[in-house]
Amino acid sequence: MARTVLEVRSLEAGYEPGVPIVRGASIRVEEGEIVVVLGPNGAGKSSFIKAIAGLVPVSGGSVTLDGQDITGAPAHRMVRLGLAFVPQTENVFPLMSVEDNLKVAGGVLPKREVAPRIEEMYRLFPDLRERRTTPAGNLSGGQRQMVAVARALMVRPKLLVLDEPSAGLSPKFVSMVFQMLTDVRKAGVTILLVEQNAKAALAIGDRAYVLVEGRDAHEGVASELWNDPVVAELYLGHRASPAQGGESR
Amino acid sequence: MNMQFLVDGLLTGSMIGLGAIGVTLTYSILRFSNFSHGDLMAWGTYATLMFVGAITALFGKVAPIAPLSFGWPLLLALALGMLFTGGLALLLDKILFQRLRAKGQMIIVVMASFGASMALRSLLEFLFTSSPAYFSRAIQIAKPIGFGIRITPDQIALLLLTAALVTAVHLLMTRSQIGREMRAVSQNIGLARVVGIDVARVVRFTWLIGGALACVAGVMIGVLVQIRPLMGFDMLLPVFAAAILGGIGSIPGAVLGGLIIGLSEAAAVQIFGAEWRAAIAFVILMAVLFVRPIGLFGVGER
Ligand SMILES: Nc1ncnc2c1ncn2[C@@H]1O[C@H](COP(=O)(O)OP(=O)(O)OP(=O)(O)O)[C@@H](O)[C@H]1O
Ligand SMILES: [Mg+2]
Repeated sequence: MARTVLEVRSLEAGYEPGVPIVRGASIRVEEGEIVVVLGPNGAGKSSFIKAIAGLVPVSGGSVTLDGQDITGAPAHRMVRLGLAFVPQTENVFPLMSVEDNLKVAGGVLPKREVAPRIEEMYRLFPDLRERRTTPAGNLSGGQRQMVAVARALMVRPKLLVLDEPSAGLSPKFVSMVFQMLTDVRKAGVTILLVEQNAKAALAIGDRAYVLVEGRDAHEGVASELWNDPVVAELYLGHRASPAQGGESR
Repeated sequence: MNMQFLVDGLLTGSMIGLGAIGVTLTYSILRFSNFSHGDLMAWGTYATLMFVGAITALFGKVAPIAPLSFGWPLLLALALGMLFTGGLALLLDKILFQRLRAKGQMIIVVMASFGASMALRSLLEFLFTSSPAYFSRAIQIAKPIGFGIRITPDQIALLLLTAALVTAVHLLMTRSQIGREMRAVSQNIGLARVVGIDVARVVRFTWLIGGALACVAGVMIGVLVQIRPLMGFDMLLPVFAAAILGGIGSIPGAVLGGLIIGLSEAAAVQIFGAEWRAAIAFVILMAVLFVRPIGLFGVGER
């Protein structure tokens, strides 16, 4: 039986006291999995994972990472606890070179491990090696996501959490980003992913949760969820039909 | 045209540039214009003067180093003064700016820095009166170095010191982990937290560096001109002009802005007369911002 990396129980969180946006959501991520969180616009997906990552105040429930309670720990401690977060937008330092983006994240590691870890990142993302001196803000959208993911992986996190990594990218880069995530998982990283692009996310995910009005309304195996008629009708904006399967839309 | 204005301009420009580094750092990392920065310069200078006095009391009169007007006591006192001024800046942040920053309204923090400026200045006048003080009464002979330029050994030493400090700060910002963290915080403070940077530590470091450099700028004025409680406040406008001219947030920009303003002030004095000194900084500032609104090395709004 796989180890549970992340266990979120009945999480409540919001931006202002007394106005919860996340209202009792529970999820679980096993070691080596890619778990996807889906949901309509404004369902609170970003708020949910930001609360997990310590960026939105938590008012109830618990977050456990690898057996350790990390509920409400401040964001800058999360990487030390083993949770690396990639925000939806503005997730690189635009005026710093690719290499400096990686180095600054390496501050959490012991000094002598930084250079070898950057080397590992360049092996995982060869494009970045060529662009090492380029300011991250000058890269294409897809390469910027690579920098953001490599930056998050610098600290060898137990869990990589991403907020809509495909948002705002052209179709070519969308497939590049999802390919990158499967490669990252192959390298042994456990991934929790929020996505708007349900089809592509379910194609690489193992399990998925559907979040509605701040609650997890549905859980399932990723490949089955796409064809689940109730889920499809309600939340994913396509009509499931057994004949066409996931190819509709 | 007499080339002497080059020396005067480089010296004034160095003082302005060192002050502007502090202003530009505070602005880019804490997002507010610290109007008490000039008074940190004055406090640093008086602190250094006190340390010189203490060292002289402990070790007796020390002969100056060959052609200079000062000896090792001033250098040691300057190092102590830099620490003191960095500490003073930290203290100001702790008791004043930090709380107001947490409430979010930047204009309030800026006003508080005005208040701090007045309080710091009045306290200096109370402690030391408004009559000028000097590090040394010795008159230095300016040596001709060609092209009609004359320069004193003190002036050469302080220009070298400025060059060394600016290089050190530049290397710190570009090559060290704390420098990378400072740049990261200035570019995106939320992401900096996500990356694991302890922002409070970066803020403390920023005040330390800004304060220490303010002290050096003040001591330069003290050595080359005189020490007065108003000495820093009077530098505030050129210092801000230099920071804006260079592009807010840019350290090379702040230094270059300082040199441009220093040199043009000196040239204006020579060409048009001393009453034009203050105006020229603004003419240049306006001219540059007209062509390049983000300043010479600026990178635009983030
Ligand atoms: N910083 C904030 N302060 C206050 N309310 C916010 C903030 N960010 C989001 N909200 C509110 O929280 C609710 C959920 O937003 P959230 O961004 O979490 O949804 P989402 O599922 O990620 O949406 P999207 O698909 O558009 O990314 C929305 O009603 C939004 O108005
Ligand atoms: Mg979102």
